[in-house]
Amino acid sequence: MSYALQTLWHERTRYASGVLAVTFSAVLIALQCGLLLGLFKITSIPIDNTTADVWIGSTAVSSVDLGKPIPNSYITRLAGLSGVKMPEQYIANFANFFKPTGGTELCFLLGSLMDDNTSGAATLLSKEQREALTMPFAIVVDESDVKRLALDKTGDGEPKINGKKVHLVGTVKGLKSLAAPWVFCSLHTARQLMGPMLPPDHVTYMLARCDSPQRAKQVAEELRAQYPDDMVAYTAEDFSYRSRMYWLTRTKAGLAIGYAALLGLIVGAVITAQTLYSATAANAKEFAILLALGIPRWRISLMVITQSFWVGIIGITLAYPVCLGLRSIAMQFNTDVDMRWEILAGTAAITVGMALIAGTLALRSVKQIEPMNLLR
Amino acid sequence: MPATKTITTPSLRGVNLVKTYGDGDARRTTLHEVTIDLFPGQLVLLMGPSGSGKSTLLAVLSGLLEPDSGQVLAEDDGRLLDVWHLTPKQREEYRRRNTGFIFQGYNLFPALTARQQLEIVLKWGSGASSGDARNRSEEMLSKLGLLKNKNKKPALMSGGEKQRVAIGRALVKNPNFVFADEPTSALDWENGEKVIELLRDAAHERKASILVVSHDHRILPFVDVYYHLEDGHLERRPLPQH
Repeated sequence: MSYALQTLWHERTRYASGVLAVTFSAVLIALQCGLLLGLFKITSIPIDNTTADVWIGSTAVSSVDLGKPIPNSYITRLAGLSGVKMPEQYIANFANFFKPTGGTELCFLLGSLMDDNTSGAATLLSKEQREALTMPFAIVVDESDVKRLALDKTGDGEPKINGKKVHLVGTVKGLKSLAAPWVFCSLHTARQLMGPMLPPDHVTYMLARCDSPQRAKQVAEELRAQYPDDMVAYTAEDFSYRSRMYWLTRTKAGLAIGYAALLGLIVGAVITAQTLYSATAANAKEFAILLALGIPRWRISLMVITQSFWVGIIGITLAYPVCLGLRSIAMQFNTDVDMRWEILAGTAAITVGMALIAGTLALRSVKQIEPMNLLR
Repeated sequence: MPATKTITTPSLRGVNLVKTYGDGDARRTTLHEVTIDLFPGQLVLLMGPSGSGKSTLLAVLSGLLEPDSGQVLAEDDGRLLDVWHLTPKQREEYRRRNTGFIFQGYNLFPALTARQQLEIVLKWGSGASSGDARNRSEEMLSKLGLLKNKNKKPALMSGGEKQRVAIGRALVKNPNFVFADEPTSALDWENGEKVIELLRDAAHERKASILVVSHDHRILPFVDVYYHLEDGHLERRPLPQH
């Protein structure tokens, strides 16, 4: 074991505050980022819950809810490509939901084919629900939106979308909305509900499955290259990422959460620096002996930096289980915290970097060590 | 800059050393043109009342405190160095090669074992390999009668044992000069006597020049040379007859 680590372990109570500060910062950063990504996952639900590999939409569409109508004829652009299976049409549009109890709510219609091989129907819809949705004006919503749309109440009126009566044939769990509730229906129903708001022979997207993810990438690239002016093609993964990033940057939520994380980072750095400073000052006489013996000051500085590195590593090691525990708690309250490895790795890099900076700040205590002070 | 003249004795000379502290009315001269010679293989005792400048002289001779004037000439590998004309880096290098220190407080790292207290000096100072540092440290601890304590941390050692480890730390790199500031004052005489015997043996066997600053008259029978410093004036005194 290195002298730095040995000292850290021996004086663990002294270093505990620094380690806990790193842990606090790491948990804060990971959870904030996880919450943010979890929150913005909602914006890409229509993409992530289908089995389509390629999405074709209007030019420069930046998020799935911002697609403009494209001609039905574009389906032929997909149909002619090798490795592309069963292209289909998809409608995704905002609509007005009239609650049976009165009042309106903005909703987002997602209309797709409902047969067994469809790539556009939400994967959480059961076979029975898909069959039920083939009935005209049948809809399914997430159970969390039932109350919001007053579908659990019987009022004087009936639920309507864009002025046309609809009836709820089931609910799903796990397709929560951020602003406008998702309303799942058949392509035919969506077309009827949109009426003149959607030009004839137009839809919002064309979807298709591909032989492989690799082929999906190639297809998207080929289509983008071939039709750069009147449509855009993305892989599902790419479109999903773009949709999240659009709302992340558009709402500036990332900036707000970034500030909060930065604050946590600064607090962590200050506490860690102070802890290392105090610990080094406490060993000043021992270090002074080494200086008197001619051992260079950089050796001692290196030991302090090594200690700060270990403080960072131990702090992040403690932070991971805390993050996962808090994530489990959040999940019980239907709050998604996206703890993907990139977040955990990024948090580790940032907090260990922070600990190293704190160690560098603490080096001023090494500069103050003077062998002469050992003499009475 | 290092001089090229080769000398054999003395190994360390302080020549006309002057050191003052403070300014104006508070100005106080601690060393008045002090000259002292230290020879290889000698245990030298420096005594004097509190505030007489003993620790200042030790600091000046050891390269820790710059004098206002005068020279400190040290033999280093056949060359004569003017310690206070070296650059700070050269002086650090000089101390790394030549000097050992023992202080009243043992100043041992609480987290390290007795052996590691010595190893750190060899590894960080001399760039010794782990194996070499371990062997040399254990050899030194064995000479100090501490081998059985090699894996003990300071908290589990007595005051005498801790001071012996501190002596081992000062001697392990085989320095030409050892400076000890009140090495026995925190110990009872039984342990203090052992410590002084160890230092005397180190001087005689290793041919090191060891300067001990102390108030303790019981040390006198063990030393080879006795200096008295009072009001900044140094005087060599005869050793008491046994």
